[in-house]
Amino acid sequence: MINEKLARLFSPASVAVIGASNSFDKLGYHVMKSLVGNYRGRIFPVNPRGEKVWGLLSYPSLEAIPGVVDLAVIAVPAGMVAETLHACGRKGISGVVLITAGFKEIEDPGGASLEEEIKDIAGRYGLPIIGPNTFGFVNLSSSVNASFTSEFSRIEKGGVALVSQSGGICHLCGFLAIEQRVAMSKLMSLGNRCNVDFPELLTYLVNEDDSTKVIALYIEGLDEPRRLLDVARLFRGRKPIIALKAGKSEKGDSASRFHTGSLAGNHAIWKGALRQAGILMVATAEELLDTAKAIDSCPLPRGARVAVLSGQAGPGMIASDALEPCGLSLSSFSEETQRRINDLLPPIAIRTNPVDMGPAWYNPGNIIEILKAVLDDNGTDGVIFLAMYASANLKLAEGMVEYMKAVDPFRKPVIGCFTAPPGIWDGPIGALDRRKGIAILPTPERAARAMANLWKVSALTNAKGVRTWDR
Amino acid sequence: MGPLMLSVDAVTFLEKEGLPVLKSILAAGEDEAAVRAAQIGFPVALKISSPDVVHKTEAGGIRVSLKDAAEVRQAFREMVGAFTSVNPGRRLDGVMVQEQGSGAEVIVGMLTDPQFGPVLMCGLGGVFVEAMKDVSFRLVPIERRDAREMLEELKGYEALVNPRSGSIDLPALEDFLFRISTFLEDHPEVREMDLNPVFVTSRGVRICDARIKTG
Repeated sequence: MINEKLARLFSPASVAVIGASNSFDKLGYHVMKSLVGNYRGRIFPVNPRGEKVWGLLSYPSLEAIPGVVDLAVIAVPAGMVAETLHACGRKGISGVVLITAGFKEIEDPGGASLEEEIKDIAGRYGLPIIGPNTFGFVNLSSSVNASFTSEFSRIEKGGVALVSQSGGICHLCGFLAIEQRVAMSKLMSLGNRCNVDFPELLTYLVNEDDSTKVIALYIEGLDEPRRLLDVARLFRGRKPIIALKAGKSEKGDSASRFHTGSLAGNHAIWKGALRQAGILMVATAEELLDTAKAIDSCPLPRGARVAVLSGQAGPGMIASDALEPCGLSLSSFSEETQRRINDLLPPIAIRTNPVDMGPAWYNPGNIIEILKAVLDDNGTDGVIFLAMYASANLKLAEGMVEYMKAVDPFRKPVIGCFTAPPGIWDGPIGALDRRKGIAILPTPERAARAMANLWKVSALTNAKGVRTWDR
Repeated sequence: MGPLMLSVDAVTFLEKEGLPVLKSILAAGEDEAAVRAAQIGFPVALKISSPDVVHKTEAGGIRVSLKDAAEVRQAFREMVGAFTSVNPGRRLDGVMVQEQGSGAEVIVGMLTDPQFGPVLMCGLGGVFVEAMKDVSFRLVPIERRDAREMLEELKGYEALVNPRSGSIDLPALEDFLFRISTFLEDHPEVREMDLNPVFVTSRGVRICDARIKTG
């Protein structure tokens, strides 16, 4: 039931914007801006003045709208929310995005009691609410931007769903996603989590949402974390779940006379509990996005042995250095692999792992052949591929794009790092990224970290687990 | 059981629950201590048993590797003498006579977190737990893979399994964590618990000392 309603909420055939406005200083203006010209369903602005809003005919009330409305986006003052929800219930709306703030997140205890009241009303009508106190959601898979930030529509469509306890983190990650070509299915802040919380979203995203391939969570704190963890544990192995948990500095109970109590910081318990539930914990927003992108783009590795292929020796060395601290190792090539590499590279370069591909700079065909040879090696589980621009290798990236057209999708992860001045390799980098098992990240170290996380996700979903975790 | 169980009471309770403990008997006097030590088998350790002493080591309340009845008697006299002169007014239940433990020291504990409920902890004992906070946590109940991963997560894991630091029965330790989790499920009245130290050798796992808070 809740899943059907959430499916309609996220992919509505029609949207009412309650509090729709023509004035820039109202959130209802910005919600309209997100929908108009982008959303393909019907938009019903609701505004008591009855004038046209964003060029569309508006309605004085929900009741005045003819026919069915699937989703209501509410951006009215907190004091008007209760009666608005009653109207939504009577109209038979499937779900609500409640942007309005001023509920339990405020110091005034009136906020909390107002939130209880709206929870009751929602319960009476079986009305799922995203929020209150949210920027909304964006469903990129069906081009619905039900948020007050229209620019989120610029994020590419893909498999990453970000479910956040903070709207600010969505804005941080959403714009970074545009810049770094992370492709998303959904982006949302659950706000105060009135009746749609992490467990409901996980269930929906895992069971119902085919467009979502990896679920990224941002968690601040939960009153009942076991609800989330139990659901995640139930879904272990179905879809990768990764989480960024804020609040690292919370200390243990120093008043406890027990060793255990005094050692148990909240973050340390979260760390153990997330791994127990099969959720990969990451340390930063950057790592959350990098890891999500890698999972969305690459096959999961079967082991921790990595080959580093670099157009220049130095970046290959720092990538190699970054492997071990995150639980990976440099692979050793078989004789057959080494023979294939030696045929493609003159002996003026280091041809063992990490491979210095410098001499093949002008021959993107050979570079692709080296990559294929290494991926064919049973002793290598994934590849980090590094290419720094120099004026003389201008054609390298474009050449790789051409050669890649005839290549079958890789069955092992390849994380690439292509660094060039803005504007020079943008086209080819975009054409290589997220295709055929390749994910492109900004630095060798971030590539290594993302590769390690691919391996950890693989291990978390596998019954045997992994021995070498971070130390 | 009372709200706070210490040393011999806690160890005896755990033994009754089928958990592996070092043989421990409370002795009220010197003669009884010598007899109990002979029953247990030498060498033995003696530990002051007082509801008012939390850290027995700091209080000079532990003597180890006592080889015969004479050493037990002498240690008993010295410990009780020191306890009563240094701590007038503190209660003394007696002296716990205990099978001498050996092997790698680990700590296994439990706390009741306001959000998470019962949480299991394990870590390397002694200086590691105090100075490095090298511990890992899981929610109760755990599965067997969680037991293994809790140990593998420890920074000192390599030291624990290094044969040069004395071989230990790792599967027995994993099984022990799993059994503690089951014990905690069976006893929801346990609110906080330290099993510290727990000795691990190639022959298995033994709880040496314990504190349990119920409520």
